Amino acid sequence: MAHCGGTNGSKLFTMVLYMAAACGAIPISDLLDRASQRSDKLHSLSTTLTQDLDSHFPPIGRVIMPRPSMCHTSSLQTPNDKEQALQVSESDLLSLVRSLLQAWEDPLVVLSTSANTLPHPAQSIISNKIQELQEHSKSLGDGLVVLSGKMAPGAQTISSLPYFGGNDIGQDRISKLINFNFLLSCFRRDSHKIDSFLKILRCRAAKMLPEMC
Amino acid sequence: MRKVILLLLLLCFTAHTRGKLHSPPAKPGLTSCRSPEKETFTCWWKPGSDGGLPTTHALYYRKESSETVYECPDYHTAGENSCFFNKNDTSIWVNYNITVVATNALGRAFSDPVEIDVVYIVKPNPPEKVTVTVMEDKGWPFLRVSWEPPHKADTRSGWITLIYELRVKLEEEIDWEMHLAGQQKMFNIFSLRSGGKYLVEVRCKPDHGFWSEWSSTSYIKVPDYFHREKSTWILITVFSTFTFLILMWLLHMNRHNLKHCILPPVPGPKIKGFDKQLLKNGKSNQIFSALVVPDFPPATSSNYEDFQVEYLEVYVRREQELVLEESKDLHNSCLKSESSTSDCDSGRGSCDSHTLLMAKCREAKEGERQTDRECSPMRTEAQRRLKDWEEEALNYAHAGIVSLEMSSGRVKTWPSVFSPLPRYSSSPLDQQSSLQMAKQLSLSTSSYLTQPGHSTKEALGQSYWDLCLSSKQPHLLNPPTPVCRELQAHSDVNISSIGHKRAPAGPRSPALHTTEYVEVQRVDNKDTLLLQPVVQGCGRMGGCFQMPHGEVYSKVKGVDSDNVLLLQREGMGEDSCHKSCTVSTTQKPSGCIYTAVPVRDEMATMANGYVDTATMCTLHTC
Repeated sequence: MAHCGGTNGSKLFTMVLYMAAACGAIPISDLLDRASQRSDKLHSLSTTLTQDLDSHFPPIGRVIMPRPSMCHTSSLQTPNDKEQALQVSESDLLSLVRSLLQAWEDPLVVLSTSANTLPHPAQSIISNKIQELQEHSKSLGDGLVVLSGKMAPGAQTISSLPYFGGNDIGQDRISKLINFNFLLSCFRRDSHKIDSFLKILRCRAAKMLPEMC
Repeated sequence: MRKVILLLLLLCFTAHTRGKLHSPPAKPGLTSCRSPEKETFTCWWKPGSDGGLPTTHALYYRKESSETVYECPDYHTAGENSCFFNKNDTSIWVNYNITVVATNALGRAFSDPVEIDVVYIVKPNPPEKVTVTVMEDKGWPFLRVSWEPPHKADTRSGWITLIYELRVKLEEEIDWEMHLAGQQKMFNIFSLRSGGKYLVEVRCKPDHGFWSEWSSTSYIKVPDYFHREKSTWILITVFSTFTFLILMWLLHMNRHNLKHCILPPVPGPKIKGFDKQLLKNGKSNQIFSALVVPDFPPATSSNYEDFQVEYLEVYVRREQELVLEESKDLHNSCLKSESSTSDCDSGRGSCDSHTLLMAKCREAKEGERQTDRECSPMRTEAQRRLKDWEEEALNYAHAGIVSLEMSSGRVKTWPSVFSPLPRYSSSPLDQQSSLQMAKQLSLSTSSYLTQPGHSTKEALGQSYWDLCLSSKQPHLLNPPTPVCRELQAHSDVNISSIGHKRAPAGPRSPALHTTEYVEVQRVDNKDTLLLQPVVQGCGRMGGCFQMPHGEVYSKVKGVDSDNVLLLQREGMGEDSCHKSCTVSTTQKPSGCIYTAVPVRDEMATMANGYVDTATMCTLHTC
């Protein structure tokens, strides 16, 4: 259901965006609104995934879990507080968003494949949600392409954040779970960043509509 | 030495009196860390037992990217056992590793480290400036609740996105009614109870965070709008009363119709001369005398409908298949209730009634039996008589009977009804004989059965002999015989048509299309039927034949010496008939035209045996 809805929704979203781009009919605020809705959904999914995973997580895993600074996207310089974030320009913000999203394209595939064999009681649920994550991510990425076209050229810049983790997330059960959890936590944070930046952009674009913020 | 021992004892004593043992502090625990606006955050801990010694707590944290351990910058702002991180010390999207350490004289205790990210622990303050007002929408009140986000949360820049929820309840209720308001800062509540006191509370939540606490309760009292409801009810009541009154009035106006619908009236008797009042009040003599129609037999021109006329369908047959069925027939015919042409409500209807018929039949039967008893050879006599009668009839057919043709002759006799008429009874004997005659005739006529196939070749029609036996004595048939109305029903006796069998000298019975009315003037002792043209007799009783509508019938005006039947060409229906009827017997009606046409062999007969004037011609001896 969500799968189909996601696909159709993404197609529709893309079509709408392209049409908007062609005709220039849809204002940016609407586009940003739709984009932020997508990102909101993305982050919510990742949050629930984390909770599902934590339900049966070995305590030892928390101890030896890698630090978040080990995320492959940590090299990207993002604002750390509100003042910094509000000082970033729109195009830069969008560029950050797009970079982050782009950085997760491959790791999500890894997550998806490893979710199929995850030694976890909620494996099927997790697997489904990973699927949804992928779809939402894809549709958001497509929408952002259109958005960036309406913004300053700086929005087109996408920082490359390659993922070096490979396809293998571990051999034994513990390491598998730990690595899966770690990867998911990195994604959760990054999705929150994406969501926050898009909502900042939305508020900025909707100056005439204060109720949007 | 002694001082040391004393000191030790003192210490022991002190320790003993205190009742405690000093120990290092127990492990504290971090209870929660919260950020109200994603810019600052506070952590609270719960200290363990202090081990009997003054214990201090310290919070140390470490950010994810560095190993530097920092201590809590502010222990006081947030209250006891808390640590407040201000904006400068707060970094978002950065993991904090926080530990609380409890220290006392004997040792220290470390709490479990907690990893937090500020963005995940956002719990805003409740919404502020919640206002509730009562407003009106087309006369109906509703509550408008409006609020503001907590002042610390920066929603303007989009840094934090809040969604709101409010709850409402009446003062006396227990359960709250929840409403999700989304991102808007205003909400309307409808369907209020008039005069109720409402409690309203609002709370908020960031897009990915925790719900705030409920705001302080706002009280609002809804004014009474019962009077508006009341006016509506008044209107409704007035309308319904109006409608009800109108309905009642309509019913009252139509009560007669309703009464007829629901309780249809019992049809009263329609016997002419029957007076209900008389029945109630009067004596039997009066009743019965009233029943006697004073002008019957009709002497004046009256409605033909009211008269019952006997007519005799006669046809001549070679074989006389009489007899056995006669009684049966009579019985059968008596049982039959003929109602084809008579309506139940006319005067004749009552006469046509089954019971009356039965009574008549019974009488007839008695008479029959009587006659049987008298003469068993009555039948033969009847046959003889019939034969004679036939001959007579034929003779008279010569004389002027145009055509007698019947396929299914139906005799409708009504002997018994009219026989007791006193006026026309010259003598009881006559009466008796007339009755006898009537019965005999009926008998004889009844002896003739329907022979449908018998005469189909020739004629389809029937000729009717109007036999006014009822109105007068057979012997005393007056010249101006009244015109008798054909009466249908009673004893249906089918007589084969006379005209079929060519009587020795009888004319070939032609196909007749009309029925020729010839009035039987009298029947003499020899059972000879003396005919009289009907039209003459019109005048006396004033009655005329009732002509079936739409057909032209001729009345026989007269029979002249040459045995020519003089017919009267008439117009339609009764009017002309009436006209003709008013003329005296001797006179020729001025308005009547008559034609005397030689009888031809071929006569046009109409289906019912009436003679068509167009083709009519007088019979002659052939």
